[in-house]
Amino acid sequence: MLKKMLAQLGIEEQRVRLDWVSASEGDRFASIVNEMTEQVRALGPMSRDNGGKNG
Amino acid sequence: MAKLKLALYWAGACGGCDVAVLDINEKILDVANLADIVFWPIALDFKYHHVEAMPDKSIDVCLFNGMVRSSEQEHLAKLLRAKSKVLVAFGSCACFGGIPALANLYTRAEIMERAYIEAPSNDNPNKTLPQTKTQVPEGELTLPELFETVLTLAQVVPVEYFMPGCPPTVDLILKVVNALATNSLPPAGAVIASNKTLCEECERKKEDKKITKIYRTHQIIPVPEKCLLEQGLLCMGPATRGGCGALCVKVNIPCRGCFGPPAGVPDQGAKLVSAVASIYQANTDEDIARMVNEVVDPAGTFYRFGLSNSMLKKKRLQRR
Repeated sequence: MLKKMLAQLGIEEQRVRLDWVSASEGDRFASIVNEMTEQVRALGPMSRDNGGKNG
Repeated sequence: MAKLKLALYWAGACGGCDVAVLDINEKILDVANLADIVFWPIALDFKYHHVEAMPDKSIDVCLFNGMVRSSEQEHLAKLLRAKSKVLVAFGSCACFGGIPALANLYTRAEIMERAYIEAPSNDNPNKTLPQTKTQVPEGELTLPELFETVLTLAQVVPVEYFMPGCPPTVDLILKVVNALATNSLPPAGAVIASNKTLCEECERKKEDKKITKIYRTHQIIPVPEKCLLEQGLLCMGPATRGGCGALCVKVNIPCRGCFGPPAGVPDQGAKLVSAVASIYQANTDEDIARMVNEVVDPAGTFYRFGLSNSMLKKKRLQRR
């Protein structure tokens, strides 16, 4: 639902990820973190302004 | 004691806030005893130039309702700020953007297109859009400029107090009138409402917060006295400031969130999504998909009154 709402607000779906990793799966944890980091890095910084007269 | 000077103004608003002031009924006479109303466009014939002619800080209190989206509203916000000792953001629009802030899900161009070209009731073959300046034989006509986004009053000028509500309730208005009469206003920056959430003030029975289906208000008739959220209605009580007297939930209508986020919550919509997601019993991907479908318009539901004041403030545009 958060993803659906963020899409309405113009935030890319790839910026949010919910995953489940057991405490014994250290490698999997590291690889997911790395994947996510790369994915967000590829998207670049999230341009954001605070609204205003001219958007 | 000299009478207080009181001003009331409506910016981007529906007029309901002004009506709420009149809803104090005979107490309006107390207000008239206490204060001279020096500016109130809905009720009195004072013009902008009358306000412009006043010395700075000569108005004691200004109750400003409505959001700011045009050059005219911005001008009046700045003008009334300069002329007033105490400026109150009156109502949900002035405090958080209110319902009009949902327009921040669209750009100004999209709104113009929809309102003046697309809408089925239009007859506009030349696709004429409102212009800030138009030449006619008699001279130049001007209109205020529409801004790209809806702003709260505090995003334009500093504000002393916030009175939320769509509209603020009579009890809250009287509380402020009494505070003015006895010169006992709270410290600047205060939100004049409760510091608790609506849930904490709601008298409905709360038992087991687990839901398996979300209903829209027209789909079921809720059982009185039982928590509306537990009955599957999206009630915004968990992340909405109390102080309204729980008017809606008392008549079987779920809270829509007009009092804005409670103290310490920076983003009402995010808090509400998290509250709803945490009680929905979703064990499979199908459950999750069903829940997502049941909430038809999450941004419009969870940010119904507060998009201008949220962390994102508006729909983010892809600039690439």
